[in-house]
Amino acid sequence: MQNNKEEFLERISAHKLIIYKICNAYCKNRYDRDDLAQEISYQLWRSYDHFNGSVKFSTWMYRVALNVAITFYRKTKKAEAVIQLTEADTEVEDKHEDRAELEKNILILQQFINELNELDKALMILYLEEKGYSEIAEILGITETNVATKISRIKDKLKQKFSTINN
Amino acid sequence: MEDIALKDLWKAQDEKLDRTMKLNLYLLESLQKQKAESRLNSLARFKGWAVVLGVVWVLFLGLLIYGNRLQNIYFTVSIGMILIFNILAVAVYIKHIVLIRQLDYSKSITDTQKKLSELQASTFNTRFLLLQTPFYCTWFWSTEMIEGSGIKFWLIAVPIALLFTLLAIWLYRNLVPGKMHKKWVRSLIMSTPEHTSVMKAQDFLNEIAEFKKG
Repeated sequence: MQNNKEEFLERISAHKLIIYKICNAYCKNRYDRDDLAQEISYQLWRSYDHFNGSVKFSTWMYRVALNVAITFYRKTKKAEAVIQLTEADTEVEDKHEDRAELEKNILILQQFINELNELDKALMILYLEEKGYSEIAEILGITETNVATKISRIKDKLKQKFSTINN
Repeated sequence: MEDIALKDLWKAQDEKLDRTMKLNLYLLESLQKQKAESRLNSLARFKGWAVVLGVVWVLFLGLLIYGNRLQNIYFTVSIGMILIFNILAVAVYIKHIVLIRQLDYSKSITDTQKKLSELQASTFNTRFLLLQTPFYCTWFWSTEMIEGSGIKFWLIAVPIALLFTLLAIWLYRNLVPGKMHKKWVRSLIMSTPEHTSVMKAQDFLNEIAEFKKG
């Protein structure tokens, strides 16, 4: 049990950025993020005994974390403030122009992901995390062709959004 | 905006991520205690309370039958039927709790979310309880009442029992997930304590089906 615990801690620590990213993508509220991080930790620990290595550890971890995040999000979903781009965000201000541009684009991307439904959000996170289509299909339980079609559609919408805001 | 640029943007947000959230990986023992408080367990908690109330109700009905000791056949049969329906409902709820506890979050997202939503929408699985309604119209019947009230019994009591029987059968056959798009089905679901979660779950099941279709 102790060895199991050490091994679990080591593996989760190496991948904890995944948990942070998922919590940030699914919860805008700081307190909800805390609760979700706890829920994910608990469910990962609870499921770890059943992890048999038939899939990659990261695939297993994404499945648990995204399943928990979607369930949690659906239970706590309320009229959360959508990240709005304010004038201050779109102004270059005193910052270096490139830096300001980068921050504005990060905000557009966050806003876009925030507006996606639960399942498309999971798909987009996996795509941006540079997972291959076959692994995304395995995590989500859909076909690779379906993954490719959906990603292409979402990217088209995102491109439109960037061009509308930037022009 | 090219693929690489999008992925670079995603990586660039890493440094801005909120990492202050409590990730108590080093307090695994305390995570065990969290089980009871887990927000994800609210469905099991709701069904747990339903089982407790159901068991109390079943015991009460059992006592009534035991107290009557076949003195009135109408009472015994009616309460006996209500008792059977409620024992079945308690069994269905216990089965749901077991399934919720066994839910595996490490299966694919669409499979797990589908199972979970089906459990949330499982109010439909207990709609057979509607069929007990006619027995609430007959438990107070007795041979004395039938003989004493003459034609009034056949003109009032029997038609009411028949009406409730037909209504219960009709509702049982029509109150199904496939008819959730109908306004009256949604209105009826709205009158149950689980309405919000049932409707949300049913809508999410449709979303999952659409998502899988592509």
